[in-house]
Amino acid sequence: MGRKRNPVEPGDFEDPLSNYDPPAYADELERVLCATEVSQMPIRPLAYIEKDATVQDALDTMCKYECSCVVVEDAGRAVGIFSARDVLNKVAHDPATRPMPITEFMTPDPRTVYATDCPAKALNLMAIGGFRHIPVLDVNDKVVGMLGPRRTTEFLQEHLI
Amino acid sequence: MGLREDIMNETVSELPLRRALTVHAELSINQACELMRENKLGCVFVVDEQDRPLGKFTERQVLKLVCDCVSLDEPVGSRMVPIPESGCVRMADPVVKVLEGMQQTRLRFLCVVDGEGKVVALTGQKGLMEYFTEHFPRQIKVQMMSSKMHMNTREGA
Repeated sequence: MGRKRNPVEPGDFEDPLSNYDPPAYADELERVLCATEVSQMPIRPLAYIEKDATVQDALDTMCKYECSCVVVEDAGRAVGIFSARDVLNKVAHDPATRPMPITEFMTPDPRTVYATDCPAKALNLMAIGGFRHIPVLDVNDKVVGMLGPRRTTEFLQEHLI
Repeated sequence: MGLREDIMNETVSELPLRRALTVHAELSINQACELMRENKLGCVFVVDEQDRPLGKFTERQVLKLVCDCVSLDEPVGSRMVPIPESGCVRMADPVVKVLEGMQQTRLRFLCVVDGEGKVVALTGQKGLMEYFTEHFPRQIKVQMMSSKMHMNTREGA
C-alpha cells in the first residue's frame, strides 16, 4: 500500500535552524581558535623538496631558508616531512646517509590540516598527536603552507594581547 | 573563565613540564646528541657547577653543524647558544610569560629555574599546546584528528 500524499502546506517543514544557538565564546582568543581558519595563521613561506631528492638536498634547503622542517612533495602533494629531529635521530651521527634518498629518512604520510580548518584543530594535532610540523593543504590536497611551533605561538600571542 | 584569563592568571607550575637535560660544557656534541636521542628531546641545557644555565644546545644547532660539516667531537660548550633573560621562567611566573618568552627569543624551549637560578625543568611549545588543550577541552578536544575534505566516491555509490 502506497503512502498517502497530501499537498505540502506552508509550515509543514520546520526550519532546521530554528533551534540553533550560535556558539558562545568566553573571549576573543577562543573565538579566533574556533571560528577562523588555518589560512589566517602565518603558514608561509614553505620550504619543500621533491621526493627524488637526497638527504643532502634536504639539509641544504633547510640551511638556506633557516627552517627546521621541509615538506617532501610529489607533484605538489605532501608525501613526507623531514625535520631537524630527523637530522638529530637519523643523519647527524652518520655522514654516509647524505647521498641517500630522502624517502628513506623522512616521516611518511604526515598529518595535515586544510587551510579551511579551524586553528583549534591544528592545536589539537600538535598537543594530542604530538606533531610539531603540520603541512597545510588547499581543497585540491596541494600543500600551501606549513604550521610549526614558532608560527603557532606567534598567532596565539597576536590574539592574546 | 576564558582561556585568555587562564593564561594571564595561572602559573608556569601548572604547565605540563618536562625534565630538563643538563650537561657540562666539556661534554662532546656527539654525547649531547646521544643524550637527546635517548630522552627523545631536542634540547640540552649547558650548566655551570651550581646547575645554573649557561646556554642551550638544540637540534637546530645540530642541523647547522651537520650542514657546515663541523666535527661533532667538539665540546658542546663551544657551540651552545646563550640563553637570554626572557629564555628563563620561574615556576611562579604566569603562563603568558612562556608565550612571550618563546616569541621574543624565537626559542622553542624555555628553561624553568628555581629561586636560586638552578635549572629545574623545561617547557616549550608542546607543553603550551597541551595546556591549551586541557584548558580548552570543549572546542579543541572534539576536533577530529584527521582531515578529509570530501568523499572518494559519490554518496551511496
